[in-house]
Amino acid sequence: MLIGQIGNFITILTFCSSLLAAFAFYRSASSNDILEERPWAKLGRVSFIISAVAVVALFVTLYILIYNHYFEYKYAHQHSKRSLDVQYLLSCFWEGQEGSFMLWSFWNAMLGLMLLRVEKKFTSPVMFTMSLVQLFLASFLLGIYLFDLRIGTNPFVLMRNEFPDAPIFQDPNYLAKYLTDGNGLNILLQNYWMVIHPPILFLGFASSVVPYAFAVAGFWKKDLVGWVRSCMPWSLFSAGILGLGIMMGAAWAYESLTFGGYWAWDPVENASMVPWLILVAGIHTMLIFQHTGRSLKASYFFIVTSFILVLYSTFLTRTGVLGDTSVHSFTGEGSTLYWHLIAMILTFIAIPVILYIKHQRQIIVNHQEESMNSREFWMFVGSLLLLISAVYIIVLTSLPFFNKLFGTKWAIGEDVEYVYNRIMVMVAMILGMLTAITQYFKYKDTTRKYIWSKLAIPTAISIVLSILISVFGEVSYDKFGTGFLLAIHLAIWTAVYTIISNAMYLITVLKGKMKAAGSSIAHVGFGMMLFGILISSSKKELISENNTGIGVPGLKDAKGREENPLENVTLIYNVPTPMGKYTVTYLGDSTELKNNKVYFKINFAKADSSDPSSVEEFEVNPNAFLVKSPEGNQLSSNPGSKHYISNDVFVYITSWLNPDNIKDTASFHNTPITAGDTVYYSNGFVLVNKILTANKYDNTDLPLVDSAWLSELTVVSKEGRTAQVSPAYFVKDGQGSFKTDTVIQQNLVLGIQRAKSGRVELALKESSAVMRYITLKAYRFPWINLLWLGTIIMVAGFMISLYFRLKSKLYVV
Amino acid sequence: MHILGLVLIAVVIASLLTFMSDLTTYDSIESARTKEGKFVHMIAKIDTTKPVIYDPIKDPNLLTFTAIDSLGFTTKVVYKNAKPTDFEKSTRVVLKGAMVGEVFECKEILLKCPSKYKDDPNVQKNQLKVVSEIPKLNAQP
Repeated sequence: MLIGQIGNFITILTFCSSLLAAFAFYRSASSNDILEERPWAKLGRVSFIISAVAVVALFVTLYILIYNHYFEYKYAHQHSKRSLDVQYLLSCFWEGQEGSFMLWSFWNAMLGLMLLRVEKKFTSPVMFTMSLVQLFLASFLLGIYLFDLRIGTNPFVLMRNEFPDAPIFQDPNYLAKYLTDGNGLNILLQNYWMVIHPPILFLGFASSVVPYAFAVAGFWKKDLVGWVRSCMPWSLFSAGILGLGIMMGAAWAYESLTFGGYWAWDPVENASMVPWLILVAGIHTMLIFQHTGRSLKASYFFIVTSFILVLYSTFLTRTGVLGDTSVHSFTGEGSTLYWHLIAMILTFIAIPVILYIKHQRQIIVNHQEESMNSREFWMFVGSLLLLISAVYIIVLTSLPFFNKLFGTKWAIGEDVEYVYNRIMVMVAMILGMLTAITQYFKYKDTTRKYIWSKLAIPTAISIVLSILISVFGEVSYDKFGTGFLLAIHLAIWTAVYTIISNAMYLITVLKGKMKAAGSSIAHVGFGMMLFGILISSSKKELISENNTGIGVPGLKDAKGREENPLENVTLIYNVPTPMGKYTVTYLGDSTELKNNKVYFKINFAKADSSDPSSVEEFEVNPNAFLVKSPEGNQLSSNPGSKHYISNDVFVYITSWLNPDNIKDTASFHNTPITAGDTVYYSNGFVLVNKILTANKYDNTDLPLVDSAWLSELTVVSKEGRTAQVSPAYFVKDGQGSFKTDTVIQQNLVLGIQRAKSGRVELALKESSAVMRYITLKAYRFPWINLLWLGTIIMVAGFMISLYFRLKSKLYVV
Repeated sequence: MHILGLVLIAVVIASLLTFMSDLTTYDSIESARTKEGKFVHMIAKIDTTKPVIYDPIKDPNLLTFTAIDSLGFTTKVVYKNAKPTDFEKSTRVVLKGAMVGEVFECKEILLKCPSKYKDDPNVQKNQLKVVSEIPKLNAQP
């Protein structure tokens, strides 16, 4: 109980110290008198350090609760479990609302400490914003009542205080008796990506406040120009980390979710991507500003909006307003968090808006139109395009929220992905184009001759390459018509163009100098991502296409179109089944008892068309958790994949008949037989070809048994399939024993027996228990590795830019 | 710059307009019936008193069941895909598809399962009640 009280104390300490820090930094930043400013700044610094230490202590305290399985605490009871592997105990943190706010708060504290160390110019106003964020984050963990309104949720509440009415708490030994284990971690989160993805993503979210803080600080201290320089490295850092975090989420979705891909335009994914798009737009307009003095207002808008969108995405995903639209189901704590987050968003909108209104007259605006031959013109067009795509995505994603606000009932139509993709393919096309050409323009003005001399070669190479891809690449995604397919081909070209032209820029213009190479490297990575996305999505191939499905009479697609191919195929144990170019066999499964996890062994074999003797063969091991429920074990599937450099074969189980769940109630029926007889069963007949009898007196080949009856039978099913079986019967020391044989496809178990009369009988059993099968889906994703490689290169580009900016004199430390 | 601004606004409006044409609505079973053939999102529950049929040996791409909504209307539903995990456990489903004759042909099922609503205090409370009832039964002679 003591640890909970310590936790409660630290929660309050965090709140109070960040409140004091925010107040002190506010006074310091508002004052123009150095004598007054200094002591306030000093107080703020001390308070912020205290709050940062407190946040770390909070983290440790909650981890102690989870690690030691103190299930009297609600957080541990709800999110953890004794059997959980240690590496997943950290994931318990991010599963809950409180833990993820704590993680955010941790990063905010670390970034604040770093700013206190390195920032010399805007310390007080920047730290005011950091402290204010810290204050809000701490308030989400308070869990105190203001009259009847509960502010925040405390992660250290006890079960018995939270549910005082529950009868178990009348028993003083409730803990030892009833709360012996927790509810455990959502099995989807029991994946290694879920240990690393949330911390990186939250560092991305948390760091997006730093650029915002500099923008606000610049306007506050009437230094409308100086903030951009300090803001730039932090923006690069934030964009790099946020991009990495988002793509790690995509990797998690690819590896552990079963929607068959890495991106589904799910509201949660969208909400994290939109701030990134805006931040990247802001980085480009800030570059324009640094080189030409233009686009200051746009920079301010983008940088400030990016952080507000981070808050808005938190609002969308945590308050339950998304309701029925997301596969990630979130229910917040009801209306308190809803209004709490709205209050936070409004505060962080009000600050920059008020400052802007106050100081907008001092902004020097260059009314002269830019030249079309300038780099800034095309960069600005690109930033606007990023804005358009962000607006499009966030409006669609916010639809459930708008429904809630206006009482409407709208929903995105039939094909959610296509609604996004048809706009995004255009965005990719133009953005790829702009990314390819813009660096060859110089700021302010460039001669056409110069541009063409530099651009001619990359343009030619990329056109040739992409024509080759279009002709030989078999990109023929025509589900949505020729227009969309054409757009995909054009987008593939611009993606190739981006890669080639930025790589060439690195060689021909920069001559390999790393100092300015960051942007080109990031652009190459971006191009590779676009290329990987376009190819892997448009050439995504369904391997498990099932044409044997029985159609339902009278049912046709509403618009009279052809049905989508049916995607599930059932594999019967040990029966090789043709599937696309492969022959696929379900070889077995093994259950890991500790986690109740089943691993499946599935063999894929493909005969080489030119050389039939060489067979390409590999094994894929998808797995699934067995979730106990009153209706029997339910399956929660994790995909398995076979990675090649050029493609992935991706498989997941959609249905499994667990042999433990079936009881074999069928029994054998015996029929006397002689060679040449025919015996019928429900789906065909059995031909008795031969019956052999042997005993050890006339046959010395039988050293192990006294006598044996062997048979050769042919099973012929109604569909005309035949199977050879050879059941047998042995007698040793007067004891008989069967050697049964099975025809799994026919649910048939066969044996022979010597009846008391001396005749041989065929024993036949039709039982579903012999049937072991799985149902699965299999896809191929070509060139998906380019997407992951592109992500790494792009993030590396951001970091290289950041490194050289910190090193050069552009950033005054 | 101004021209760019106008182009921007035009593009945004155009893209939002195309998107509007793709919008659909949330419907009850009764209102989905009146819009036969139109793609809707239907909010309902699985009628557990009626059979849920899924036999992967016969056809792994056919699930049939009966849905019932809060107004008490029911409809037969056909879903040409594998049975989703936790299907029977779900307390509510969003069925995306269209009414075709008497049958709702479903393209996508979104399940709302109690296990996912871990943070919901009411669910928590109910779970505690269940926990506390079991030992009581055992205590009886």
